[in-house]
Amino acid sequence: MIKINIKCFSQVKYALGKDQLKIELEDGTSTSELEKMIREKGNGKLDDIPLRVAVNQKYAPNEVELQDGDEVAFIPPVQGG
Amino acid sequence: MIITPKELNDREYELTVIDVRPKSQRNEFPLVGLETLVSEDGFISNVEGLTVLVCQFGIVTEGMIIENELADTYSLLGGAQSWNEFQLEKEDLSRWARQTILSDIGLDGQKKIMNARVGVVGLGGLGCPVAQSLVTVGIGKLDLIDGDCVEISNLHRQPLHGNDDIGEKKVVSAKTSLNKINSVTTINIIDDYLDEQNGLDFIRNCDVIIDATDNLKTRQLIDQFSKKLNVPMVYGGLYRWEGQVAILNVDGSPGYKELFPGSPSSGDTCADAGILGMLPNIIGNIQALESVKLIVGIEPNLVGKLLIYDGKNHSTDIIQL
Repeated sequence: MIKINIKCFSQVKYALGKDQLKIELEDGTSTSELEKMIREKGNGKLDDIPLRVAVNQKYAPNEVELQDGDEVAFIPPVQGG
Repeated sequence: MIITPKELNDREYELTVIDVRPKSQRNEFPLVGLETLVSEDGFISNVEGLTVLVCQFGIVTEGMIIENELADTYSLLGGAQSWNEFQLEKEDLSRWARQTILSDIGLDGQKKIMNARVGVVGLGGLGCPVAQSLVTVGIGKLDLIDGDCVEISNLHRQPLHGNDDIGEKKVVSAKTSLNKINSVTTINIIDDYLDEQNGLDFIRNCDVIIDATDNLKTRQLIDQFSKKLNVPMVYGGLYRWEGQVAILNVDGSPGYKELFPGSPSSGDTCADAGILGMLPNIIGNIQALESVKLIVGIEPNLVGKLLIYDGKNHSTDIIQL
């Protein structure tokens, strides 16, 4: 098992009701699998929202296998101005 | 007709200036850098074309023009006193002394700021503080574009617009407020929304383009033109208590398209999600700060990075793009 710290921004934060989550995942879990879990936790509130993923403060445009202690951020686009 | 010191400065070559003050005032408060004729009654024979009358405070000449129904004649707003203050402000870098003593800025940096031209797309929650801060630090030229009018629901977060401006064009209201801060900055306004037709021309001559829009479609257009013209784009966005800032498209660095590819319809506006007045002012000021750093050449900056600020817990995250 690996321990991951998740940072939630804007709509993700409000959909999940938290700005940070600490979870344990199976070894070998990828960013896209974690994103799927996060979307499920959003109960439909994140269905139409594109999310960008950053691992350890760096954008991860492609799927990445997560490591123990990683910090994963989910960042949606924001429109207000 | 009234003419401001700045307008007179810009159009001096086509105007004849007549000083109507008595000799004692002319001697005590000479006009700085202005060639004038002298006539205490405001009339000089053989003068053709447009004329500007100058008294000490701009009141006497205004009365003379009305009373005598003088055509093609301006009264200098604020008179000799206002003109001399304008000249002093134009030349006196002591106005910016508190920032020029920073070794990162210095006089060279201030001159870069004063020679720079920045475009601001949108004069709402982000655009107001961006424009306000840029004019305050002495930016040389500011181009503003927005087709929107001021509404009462804008006022809690858009400090360039006030009660009297409701219904007024935002660019007009903003320019009026900005001119009161610093008359040295040349401000050009376009009363329109940025689109495929006007976008390239608006951005073409700018050193930096500020994205202060409230919709993803315009943001994507700015990104496209910024990349094409190699004009850095300082992006800002808001959601409730959160704001994002990034400097995009600097010599091949990531653009908005790389930052957020995909649908332009996602994300709530401030009208949908709500916003507290201070948040856009904080984020707008960060955009202005990053613009100045870019113009002066100060590092580190947000080129190739996304800053996310949370106004509730004051956390700041910086993501490498």
